[in-house]
Amino acid sequence: MKLFKEVFIANIKELLRDKSGMFWLVAFPVIFVFIFGLIFTGNTGQQSYTIGLVLEGSSVINNNIEKALLKNPSFNIRKGSQEEEVNALQEGKRELVIIIPEIGFDLNSQYDIQILYNRDLNGTANIIISSLKEIFYSIERRLTEQTELFNIRPEAIQAKTLSDFDYILPGILAMAILQLGLFGSFQFLNLREKGIIRGLGVTPLSRSVILSSEILMRLIIALIQTILIVFLGKWLFDVQITGNLLQVFGIVIIGALSFISLGYMLITFADSMESGRGIVQVVQFPMLFLSGIFFPVEFFPSYIKPIIKALPLTYLGNALREVMVGIPAQTTMQRNIIILLLWTLVTLVLTIKFWKWE
Amino acid sequence: MAENVIDISNLKKYFAEVKALDGINFSVKKGIIFGMLGPNGAGKTTTIETMTGLYQRDEGEISILGLDPERSLKMLQKKMGVQLQSPSLFPRLKVVEILNLFASFYQNPLKISNVLSQIGLQNKKDSWVKKLSGGQKHRLAVGLAMISNGELIFLDEPTTGLDPQARQDLWNVIRNLKAEGKTVFLTTHYMDEAQKLCDDLVILDKGKIIANGSPEKLINDYFKDRVIELEDMGLNNSFKERIKKEVFYNRLSFEEKKGHVLLYSDQIDKTLKSLFQLADNYERELNDVVIRKATLEDVFLKITGREYRDEAV
Repeated sequence: MKLFKEVFIANIKELLRDKSGMFWLVAFPVIFVFIFGLIFTGNTGQQSYTIGLVLEGSSVINNNIEKALLKNPSFNIRKGSQEEEVNALQEGKRELVIIIPEIGFDLNSQYDIQILYNRDLNGTANIIISSLKEIFYSIERRLTEQTELFNIRPEAIQAKTLSDFDYILPGILAMAILQLGLFGSFQFLNLREKGIIRGLGVTPLSRSVILSSEILMRLIIALIQTILIVFLGKWLFDVQITGNLLQVFGIVIIGALSFISLGYMLITFADSMESGRGIVQVVQFPMLFLSGIFFPVEFFPSYIKPIIKALPLTYLGNALREVMVGIPAQTTMQRNIIILLLWTLVTLVLTIKFWKWE
Repeated sequence: MAENVIDISNLKKYFAEVKALDGINFSVKKGIIFGMLGPNGAGKTTTIETMTGLYQRDEGEISILGLDPERSLKMLQKKMGVQLQSPSLFPRLKVVEILNLFASFYQNPLKISNVLSQIGLQNKKDSWVKKLSGGQKHRLAVGLAMISNGELIFLDEPTTGLDPQARQDLWNVIRNLKAEGKTVFLTTHYMDEAQKLCDDLVILDKGKIIANGSPEKLINDYFKDRVIELEDMGLNNSFKERIKKEVFYNRLSFEEKKGHVLLYSDQIDKTLKSLFQLADNYERELNDVVIRKATLEDVFLKITGREYRDEAV
């Protein structure tokens, strides 16, 4: 235990003094939060969408709808005729155009509300549409007094303003954990390739102490990265963190273990630093894009879906999105965790089977 | 009688088809500086790494401090200090920090300040390991082996690549270890180092021990003689043949080595007289005649017939 402590402290000093290493571990995720934050949120720190509003009537209900839309801070409402607004949409000046017919008090009729959007902005449009739906349902409930009938709880009425950045922030954390797990294994690979691990065989220091102190250190880094990313997202870009931090920590640890184990498994197949880098890149790069941590994968072609479903990063992303910002995934939390643990188990078994100390 | 701290018998180690160690035997008495001398590739590092448990032997017996490294490695690790190569375990640790770390591995380590002053790195104690020069790293590696305070210290070519002053300093460190009652096993490919530093030594060549004993004994065994060195220039083969046949030797010995002819003799005055006589008779000039004591280099040359080349430098 004393040995572990000494080696752990040495590891920490080594890390803190490694400027480029620190850059990757701390500054990189922070920079990512800034860049994505600035791209996907407005100057106010709030994501806002320009929406064309075409009102074909001016009934009380029409007016109420307009007021509700104007009140929503995420929406930048432009009113105009259908022709003007559709033109603006085609020129890319609107994210979406909503056409509302004259709505009377005849509660037996159904009113078609047409929404036009740019096919290329599918993801954004879906987010806006879900917000719009909330607004319309809340008005509808008020009009039809259905609240009690369906026992809808009042908080459901608050239309949650989801921005792209809400989606992306957990993705940045998932990416940081992926990098930490995969690239972190280079530290050991380097010691192994230089024969340093072998050389330790002449001292009473057990090699497993080196390895376990590395793992513990990386788990701690993962938690520090979590705190950084969560609080930067919250304070600077107003991401609504819905889950509690302990739950987030729990998922982060489970995810980190999974990728640390994967990282060690990958370097068992490497016989030099160069081949190690190659192997890790080959695994890491496609995973970043296919796991949907930065954009939804619903729109990917169906033949890629089995790959997406197999990747651990998919489940880490899903789990983090759910506990951090409350975006429910198609996969349940239980499933996310089980699949991450399965990955840990399988890679661990393979790591132990193929492990080389020298 | 002093006990043996190392007993090696019929040690064999193969790498695939290559016989790295081909049945070597030696013993090391307690409290001495024991040298293993040999050119690069002779098997010195293999010997140290097999003795310290990094390799498994293929045949033979090893007893280090009464322990077999394959059976009692954990016990052995606590009792010995080993210098294998430059330390790069934590390149950004300060010298004093890495010494502290290694000290924490052992039950009764030396004091850090003590080791620092011995290896002459006091003024570098707050430097990062990676910022040290090659020689300083080397001395630190020796320091890391010393800090164990083990009764047996293994040093694998501790002075390779050091400048003459640093070498002298390190020799003093090694002599101090001996003065403290420790046993030092070192490998070297420097003949002069083995001769000046070691109490006892073996000469290893191609995985075999070709000679053993104290440097004085080796030189005595093989050369009670003095050596006459002549420059080769102006000596044609027929004259060399004449030297071989006609010059007086008590114990005839004639060797050639890069540009020189070496004559070994234990009656140097008679040999010289007849050599000059011969030169006179054939009106030859003898250039650059040097008379000196035999060295280990002469021993190596005599035993292997090959010149001792210092390929590493």
